[in-house]
Amino acid sequence: MSVLQVSNLVKRFDNVLAVDDLSFSVSQGEIFGFLGGNGAGKTTTLRMVLDIIRPTSGSITVLGGAPDRRQANAIGFLPEERGLYSGMSAIDTIIYFGRLKGMSPGDARRRGMALLERFDLAGRAKSDIGDMSKGMAQKVQLATALVNDPQLLMLDEPFSGLDPVNQGLLEAEILSASQRGAAVIFSTHVMQHAERLCDRLLLLRKGRKRFEGTLEEARGQLPASLVAVSSSDLSDIAGVHSASAIGEASDGWQEYRVQLAPGIAPESILEHCSTSGIALRRWDERRASLHDIFVHMVGEEGSNNDE
Amino acid sequence: MMNNVLLVAKREIRQILAMKSFWLTLLILPVALALGPIFTSTLDDDEPSRVVMVDRSGGDVAAAIKARFMADDDRATLRRLSRYVQRYDLEEADPQAVWTQHDRWYTDADIATFRASGGVDSALEKIAAVKPDGVPEFEDDNPRYTFMPATSQLQGLQGEEFGQAAQALFDSDADDAPEMVVLIGENYPENPEIGLFSANQPNPVFVSGLQETLTGDLRTRLLASRGITGAEAAAIQSAVPAIAVSTPPPGGGAREALLVRSIVPLALAYILMMSLMLTGSWMLQGSVEERSNKLLESLLACIRPEELMYGKLLGGLAVGLLMILVWGGCAGIAAYATQGVISDLIRPALEPVSSPGIILAILYFFIAGYILISAMFVAIGAMVDSMSEAQGYLMPVILGLLLPITFLIQAILAGKDSMLIDLLTWIPLWTPFAVLARLGLGIETWVMIAAGALLAVAILVEMIFIGRLFRASLLTTGQKPTLKRVLERFRAQPQ
Repeated sequence: MSVLQVSNLVKRFDNVLAVDDLSFSVSQGEIFGFLGGNGAGKTTTLRMVLDIIRPTSGSITVLGGAPDRRQANAIGFLPEERGLYSGMSAIDTIIYFGRLKGMSPGDARRRGMALLERFDLAGRAKSDIGDMSKGMAQKVQLATALVNDPQLLMLDEPFSGLDPVNQGLLEAEILSASQRGAAVIFSTHVMQHAERLCDRLLLLRKGRKRFEGTLEEARGQLPASLVAVSSSDLSDIAGVHSASAIGEASDGWQEYRVQLAPGIAPESILEHCSTSGIALRRWDERRASLHDIFVHMVGEEGSNNDE
Repeated sequence: MMNNVLLVAKREIRQILAMKSFWLTLLILPVALALGPIFTSTLDDDEPSRVVMVDRSGGDVAAAIKARFMADDDRATLRRLSRYVQRYDLEEADPQAVWTQHDRWYTDADIATFRASGGVDSALEKIAAVKPDGVPEFEDDNPRYTFMPATSQLQGLQGEEFGQAAQALFDSDADDAPEMVVLIGENYPENPEIGLFSANQPNPVFVSGLQETLTGDLRTRLLASRGITGAEAAAIQSAVPAIAVSTPPPGGGAREALLVRSIVPLALAYILMMSLMLTGSWMLQGSVEERSNKLLESLLACIRPEELMYGKLLGGLAVGLLMILVWGGCAGIAAYATQGVISDLIRPALEPVSSPGIILAILYFFIAGYILISAMFVAIGAMVDSMSEAQGYLMPVILGLLLPITFLIQAILAGKDSMLIDLLTWIPLWTPFAVLARLGLGIETWVMIAAGALLAVAILVEMIFIGRLFRASLLTTGQKPTLKRVLERFRAQPQ
């Protein structure tokens, strides 16, 4: 079941096209990676989903309806730029946001204390935010996003500024939310997190979708490469884009760096070698990382632009 | 929507109540009002000026001078006693006494009669017999001058040495050091030169009294030398007109009555201004914190910008009303505790603001004024990134608001129908202050209703434009709010 459906979304600020004909959907229990360079339109899209800003054209369906603050009760949001009231205690902050999301004071307190317990902050529940470290304050802010057990959890660059321990904690929270059926969307620059967590990915470039699909499908977008040791010249095989020798041959065996043509799977070349009697001593496939895919698809686009 | 507005308002109230500056400000006014009279009475120098008289001409001149100043003191006492009797309708204590005759400037003969009948002590005994409960006691002032005997050393000195000795007396640390020394030479009146030595610039009233007494004495002597007997000369000197005085009773004069009636209305306008400035700056501080701490996006994911704005306004209004309630309560306690003079003053002062319709009007203009002006503070807070940046926009707004109010209060105190008062009544920004301040002067009902309606329309229009500005400014950090940008945001529709 689709929790979020975005269709042909366009957002223009004066002469700047921030989001250009963007369509995607996120289902219940799915972890959806929203990737793109600075100024790609990630934050703008999330703000439109939250009804903080309105689209120029296109449509958004959140939890079965148009974006509206009434859906805040079922949405959790962690913005990229974070901050809380410095004079408010951790538990009061969580209760305040819980109440703004329609929770009763008692439920908000119970759930808030449970989250602080989980984040190892129960002892600081009554401490003012201003007296906490940055890491602690960030965990309190994460708790404000999770307090209502959202059906749609949107995290904008959630890993930035977190130490490795807290990054692990956040990953666990994302997986936990997904396991209880929440749709999770997060934008990130850190590809390892997306690689580890995401069921599907969306790559944005200058407001326009470059790719949407699984990690495997993304990998399929890049030509495969491998290292092989063979007694025959591999460059003549159909589907091999190039095979360059590495070092000198030894006893008739030569090491090759093989670049396959786009869309050609390494398995098909291996099969061809087997059936054609091409002797192989080594066959190491090199899988494209998300980083490679990101650089390939998004490239050196305006990394200093605001979104 | 209302629930979110109330939640934001509650948080605003808690934030302001957690500020030390709030409690300091809340308490500072009652404390200042309580300490004010104490300081005033401490600072008021009602101690009599100490004067040493050295009369080397025989002593009659010094005695005449002392008698003159004592008569002046008795005249002042008589006048105060007369006003007291008139204010509290105590004439039945002794209808024939001079102090129950309020229609004259008391002559030396009246003073003599007053003294002959036992002076102030006798008068107060008679008054005590008829004085109802709640009428405060009569409080007389100290005499203005006290005359001290000259030391034997000073008596024997002449010329410059006398002046130096007088100066030494002025410079001494003794509590009873004289402030003036008057020297009447042994050749007086042939040599009418009188020496006046003073620690400071001599009091003109004292010099004038001294001169009048000595002039009278010299003229009496001159008349006697021309063959007119001493008694005749004295009669000529003491011939004074009987000045009939017609003055309204205390608090009853047109200007005095107007001032009394305007005390509470002016205080209301002033308190509105004070509490607005204070809560406005706290609200501004809160808005700036939300922007600088970058928590607006989290809030806007849960509530509409309008809810945030209305919540802030409601929170500020609640804090302002709380302050006024506390200040009003303190004033009530003070009035109850002191009863007498203050309650006697408050009764006529409350008269113009005591009808239910006027109380409703006060509440309306108070709340409307609060919303109208607080919204500006909130809008400034939404546009700037720091308090120092906010100060730059706040100063012109505060000055633009306060200067006309200052002129308004002066015009009301002057008690004249002024075009400025009429003008400010019809400009919504100042309508609440003008209407509240005018309640003592008297304001036509239709003017109050029409100005109130205009104010309501102005608030609606303001809410639309400031709402747009607020919404458009919230997520635009790092942009200087130039006039062009502000105007653009006034026109901005939800993006």
